[in-house]
Amino acid sequence: MADAGEKGGSSLLIIILDTNPVWWGRKKVSDEQFSLSHCVDCITVLANSHLMLAHKNKLAVIAAHTDSSVFLYPQYPGKQTAAAKLPDDGQYEVFGQVEGQLRAQLKMLIMQDKEEIDEMYDVPERPSDSLIAGAMAVALCYAHRLEKECPIGEAMSTRLLVIKGSEDCPAQYMNFMNAVFTSQKQNIIIDACILDKDSGLLQQACDITGGMYLKIPQLQGLLQYLMWVFLPDPSTRVKMALPPRAQVDYRAACFCHRNLIDIGYVCSVCLSIYCSFSPICSTCQTTFKILGPQKLKRKKKS
Amino acid sequence: MRHLFVVVDASSPMSDQDLKPWRLKATTKLLEYFVEEYFDQNPISQLGLLSSQNKRAEKITELGGNPRRHINALQELSSKTCQGEFSLQNSLDLALSHLRHMPSHASREVLIVMGSLTTCDPGDVRESIKAMAEANIRCSVIGLSAEVRVCKFLCQQTGGSYNVILDESHFKDLLVFQVTPPPSSVSQTKPSRRINKENKEKGACLLFHLDSQTSQGFSSSGYFCPQCKSKYCELPVECKACSLTLVSAPHLARSYHHLFPPDAYREVLTSDILTDGPVYICDKCEQKFCLDCDLFTHETLHSCPGCASFRSLQNVQATTSVH
Repeated sequence: MADAGEKGGSSLLIIILDTNPVWWGRKKVSDEQFSLSHCVDCITVLANSHLMLAHKNKLAVIAAHTDSSVFLYPQYPGKQTAAAKLPDDGQYEVFGQVEGQLRAQLKMLIMQDKEEIDEMYDVPERPSDSLIAGAMAVALCYAHRLEKECPIGEAMSTRLLVIKGSEDCPAQYMNFMNAVFTSQKQNIIIDACILDKDSGLLQQACDITGGMYLKIPQLQGLLQYLMWVFLPDPSTRVKMALPPRAQVDYRAACFCHRNLIDIGYVCSVCLSIYCSFSPICSTCQTTFKILGPQKLKRKKKS
Repeated sequence: MRHLFVVVDASSPMSDQDLKPWRLKATTKLLEYFVEEYFDQNPISQLGLLSSQNKRAEKITELGGNPRRHINALQELSSKTCQGEFSLQNSLDLALSHLRHMPSHASREVLIVMGSLTTCDPGDVRESIKAMAEANIRCSVIGLSAEVRVCKFLCQQTGGSYNVILDESHFKDLLVFQVTPPPSSVSQTKPSRRINKENKEKGACLLFHLDSQTSQGFSSSGYFCPQCKSKYCELPVECKACSLTLVSAPHLARSYHHLFPPDAYREVLTSDILTDGPVYICDKCEQKFCLDCDLFTHETLHSCPGCASFRSLQNVQATTSVH
């Protein structure tokens, strides 16, 4: 199974976990069976299985929060780690480390949020989307660094797995697309595991980079899906019967209202998209010929 | 937007072995790389390939936006035998006949890779050069052997660049130089021409993309035109039925990083033991980066990981992009 291992290279799996408190809170209220801790359990199993496949395999887990991206694993080396106690049941130390750090860091993240809320009298509405693009950018930088540190002659294949429940953040479109094109350039595959509503942006990302996009039909079986679809590396996936690719929504968002549109106008200089004709491009200040309205008429006729 | 024809010389001088393994093979190999880079940098631009041998010019690929098709054609071309003579006039005429109908808001260019030192033309080549200059088509030539007077004249007249390679790496550099769009083509600097840059109507085409197969034959996947529901297997393309230009969102998004580049980081010297060397700080989000990450974010990623992780900075970016 460990194809990268056979070639003498290592494989890096970066898991981006959406830890949006609003979404997880709602989930908790509506669905008693599925909670963040259950999800973290599943991720721990996936992470450990990945590490188990080959000795050289590496792992990173990043939390995409409402207002920050935090490394859950590995920890920032400068920080004081909780006295790493050796497991007493003969478990491989790294497994214990992964689980311990994941939980500790998540706990810290949640406590920070709690403190923030406690300090304020009138709690502002928390945004219900997470900054996935930030976490992806951090992940790409991390992958870039590890690739540089990789000894010469050894190949490293990298994969990003985004586990996301909350909605897309339209303000991040640019950052998100930059991250996607960068990963395409660096041969990094983006997989998406969607827990709730379909995400158009991630569909595009997976399609562009050749990753798997999967909306989990049943959250109870999250672990099964993770192990079945997202654990095997891309070279192995070809040989497996995986869920068929979904339709991809390739519509673009206009710059003026951030709506998704089918047909629109594109500035021929800077390629900004507008949903209606405007005589001056607001991005690059180009003025267009008044031929525009005529064109409109012609369009209506056709 | 660019419309570029690449003319590949396939005449007998191209079988010389001064480039390894032989000229044509080396050329096509570098052009494959060129095609990939071209579409990476110019996402909704079009490219076509011509070849010239036996005193004739022939079209290898139509103007199109699918890199794979061009690369396949190049691979086929590389195994052809080089024979006959190169014809500059025929190549220019053929390119002109295709480029003439292209809209004027896009730049029109011809790139000639020429190994031959002679050209065999049916008429006066200067007439063709004049026609190219009048049509505002920029012609550039990369010579593989020595400078040729008529090529130099062509480039001078049409505003292109003429270079002769020194060795293979220089050849590659020259091709890479052609990848970036010409900084200020004539039509964009002249204010009188500026009105030509009208809004081009585009349908961001969508839906139903499974696995794009090769362009030939039947396939179950494709893109639908939102206006007339015609189906296409590759983008970008102009709809044959309703002449709407069809592109997908990523094509447009690919060049957005030029619009909103991240600010340069400030270099700060620290005495932190963890980091060796200077630390780079983003002025907006006050996050620290190492030199490697600084280079990576500015050259490849084009967005600051720190700024992308703060909601307050998101909104700033969103509003600046709107106004």
